[in-house]
Amino acid sequence: MSDAKLQKILLQSNDGVTIDVGKSPPLDIGFWRTPPSLYRAVAERSVLIRNMLEDLGDEGIGNQAIPIPNVNEAVLKKVIEWCDHHRNDPVQPADEEADTRKKTTDIEEWDQKFMQVDQEMLFEVILAANYLDIKPLLDVGCKTVANMIKGKSPEEIRKTFNITNDFTPEEEEHIRRENEWAEDR
Amino acid sequence: MVPPPSRGNNFPATPDRDDIDKTWTYLQAGIDRIMDNLHEGMDMQTYMGIYTAIHNFCTSQKAVGFNPQQNMHTGAHRGAHLLGEEIYKKLIEYLTAHLDQLVQESNSHQDEALLAFYIKQWNRYTTAAKYIHHLFRYLNRHWVKREMDEGKKHIYDVYTLHLVQWRSVLFDKVSEKVMAAVLKLVEKQRQGETIEHSQIKQVVDSFVSLGLDDQDSTKTTLDVYRYHFERPFLEATKQFYTAESKQFVAENSVVEYMKKAETRLDEEEERVKMYLHTDIAMPLKKACNQVLIAEHSGLLRDEFQVLLDNDREEDMARMYSLLSRIPDGLDPLRSKFEAHVRKAGLAAVTKVSADVEKLEPKVYVDALLEIHTQYQGLVKRAFNDEAEFTRSLDNACREFVNRNDVCKSGSNKSPELLAKYTDVLLRKSGTGIEEAELENTLSQIMTVFKYIEDKDVFQKFYSRMLARRLVHSNSSSDDAETSMISKLKEACGFEYTNKLQRMFQDMQISKDLNEGFKEHARALDTKVLDSQYSILGTGFWPLTAPNTTFNPPIEISADCERFSRFYKNKHEGRKLTWLWQLCKGEVKATYCKNTKTPYTFQVSLYQMAILLLFNEKDHQTYDDIASTTQLNSEALDPSLSILCKAKVLLMKPDGKVGPGANFVLNYEFKSKKLRVNLNVGMKSETKQEEQETNKTIEEDRKLLLQSAIVRIMKARKRMKHQQLLSETINQIRQRFVPKVSDIKKCIEILLDKEYLERLDDDDLGYLA
Repeated sequence: MSDAKLQKILLQSNDGVTIDVGKSPPLDIGFWRTPPSLYRAVAERSVLIRNMLEDLGDEGIGNQAIPIPNVNEAVLKKVIEWCDHHRNDPVQPADEEADTRKKTTDIEEWDQKFMQVDQEMLFEVILAANYLDIKPLLDVGCKTVANMIKGKSPEEIRKTFNITNDFTPEEEEHIRRENEWAEDR
Repeated sequence: MVPPPSRGNNFPATPDRDDIDKTWTYLQAGIDRIMDNLHEGMDMQTYMGIYTAIHNFCTSQKAVGFNPQQNMHTGAHRGAHLLGEEIYKKLIEYLTAHLDQLVQESNSHQDEALLAFYIKQWNRYTTAAKYIHHLFRYLNRHWVKREMDEGKKHIYDVYTLHLVQWRSVLFDKVSEKVMAAVLKLVEKQRQGETIEHSQIKQVVDSFVSLGLDDQDSTKTTLDVYRYHFERPFLEATKQFYTAESKQFVAENSVVEYMKKAETRLDEEEERVKMYLHTDIAMPLKKACNQVLIAEHSGLLRDEFQVLLDNDREEDMARMYSLLSRIPDGLDPLRSKFEAHVRKAGLAAVTKVSADVEKLEPKVYVDALLEIHTQYQGLVKRAFNDEAEFTRSLDNACREFVNRNDVCKSGSNKSPELLAKYTDVLLRKSGTGIEEAELENTLSQIMTVFKYIEDKDVFQKFYSRMLARRLVHSNSSSDDAETSMISKLKEACGFEYTNKLQRMFQDMQISKDLNEGFKEHARALDTKVLDSQYSILGTGFWPLTAPNTTFNPPIEISADCERFSRFYKNKHEGRKLTWLWQLCKGEVKATYCKNTKTPYTFQVSLYQMAILLLFNEKDHQTYDDIASTTQLNSEALDPSLSILCKAKVLLMKPDGKVGPGANFVLNYEFKSKKLRVNLNVGMKSETKQEEQETNKTIEEDRKLLLQSAIVRIMKARKRMKHQQLLSETINQIRQRFVPKVSDIKKCIEILLDKEYLERLDDDDLGYLA
């Protein structure tokens, strides 16, 4: 990343917290007084922010914090942590590569650890990644969820995600028959 | 955990996510601002607000009913139904209305003002489109992507949608007027005014951007540009130049017109670089070439003869470069050029050939060369040294070299004169040209040689003259001789120069042989004459045995016999024939009263034999001389008459040399020089030689033809008569141009000799 992009960026979560985040060490949730500065490269993992910076230019932003209306502080920090770690990844891979990436549920080690959070946080991160347009993070999140489903029976899945079965037995039988082909034998 | 104090509420108010009308009203306010007031800047709140509003709408509750607690996580990810179509449709409505408004406004503008309006609106609109594209990214990523993945036509990403709307709402209505303004501007420039051509460049870019591939909207095509810009542009260009060139030609000379056309063509090329799309370069060039050159090509070609006649090289070069741009433009020029060169060549020959008999070889060859050099230079400088023009030049040269006034008296005249000129150059007596210049001149000889059709005639004369140079050892330099032979070899192959090379070798071998003989004589301690012998292979030298009997004087015959013995001892079984007519020597005249130092006479051997008779007595009768020397009158008479003419002998009675004449040694002989050359050939002799040479050519040609026919038949075994004819012509053409009747005669001869047989069906067969 060029020096020009090492500019300080402030984000503001929807619960009103301004976050000045940046390079490692990753956020220590307990230590607010020494907020790491957010480098532009980190922020630009989000295509939304990247486009906005490009469109509005430096003078359009000045010293203001960028409002992120749909994400709260905890989630935003979590997302920034990911962005910081991945700030030097090559820019969005081409479509074909994305396809091959989709086919595998392998997740690199750091990301696996990163995703070891409670379910609510996991889904919040996925939604934030979708909103902020951070494709690789969205993929990692979805893969994590996919891995949670893999090899489980419907009942187990319901249990895992705390889903109430609202099908009637008839409906369920119908669906089971329709999807017979997909079952393990 | 205590959250840090916020820096004031930064958050945009976003509309109710479930309500399309409210959402759109909110979005429209933002889009209006982007479309109309972007120059005032944009704040983050609005930016994030619009993006978030679209995100929220697309992820709103109207999707599939789900467990409310999970709803917020599943809005977009179940994938069965994606929201966004309503926003997309609203955007289309908005753009349509917006562009309709622009069309209205455009009606009040014309020409350059319209151009400025179009460019200004285009720039504003596309800049806004980029913003809106970014802001609608959530829609692009999900709803639009899904629609396109499902193969729905006429769904585009938001930026492309802007272009599509521009094209369908505005472009179709105003593009013609815009184009008219562009063409007016270009015409102004063509008429010499300065214009702001960046405007045109922008229009071009705009038209190009609108070319969307219907099959794959991520790709662009030049279709729109080609139809709406290129086509009318080319049309206008043609019209402009058709009119201009017509008028110009009517008022100016052709030469002036060519300059004008050249400038115009350059200008158009420059125009493409300056502000047009490179795609137009080729068709524009073609269009200009058509109206500026092809339409006037007849006029240009008519002028070509005038330019040729006046040596207007620069103008010819200009005409060449113009006509080379159009297909088949140069062919008529080439044939005119060929005819012109032929005429010039023939005229040059006619000029020098007032008296063919006295024509100097050098004058003739120089005349040919001058024309060739002149027009070769023209081809190089004016016609780009083009191969086709060179071929026309060659054709013309071949014509005037082989069929001109000089050749009328005998078709062998050209090769003969060329060979003679070569002889002049290579002979010692020559004008003393520098080595480098000689080499240069020999190369020029080869230039003419290349055009000679009867190369066998040249060969004949050349070998005769080479023989003379070698025998009389008056060749100017061995290097020049070898250089010439290798040039001929390069041009005609080994066979052509084989004999010439052998002649050269014979001379070298003879040199060694003479040294051996001297060594031999010294060893035997016999006194010999200071003599030189040349042993010439019968097959290689164009020489014949003397046509007279001869009894060599005793002083010489002893030496000759000694040499014969020496040679036969060395090479058993070889037959030596003395070519007395080529021998020469020197005698000292010690009897003259008028000088203290004796004169030295350079004489032929016949003359020597005659003079030596006067050692016995001062009077000799013709018949005595004839019977002692055994010479027939053909050889004796010229020898005697030279001696008489030089007053070495005095004849009584005066008159014609012949039987009955008496000869007395002249004691009063006087000469300014001490060495007197009496060995001079008579004019009639060389004349006779020429005739002989020409006669042998005819015979040799028959042999050449026959051997070619036999060679072909041996390879083919069986052949049609007609085929054999053309094959023979092909093979022999490098040497001379054979007549069909001669070939037929040769075939008859070979049939008689039973080399060939007649078969059915006009076929000929080979008999081994």
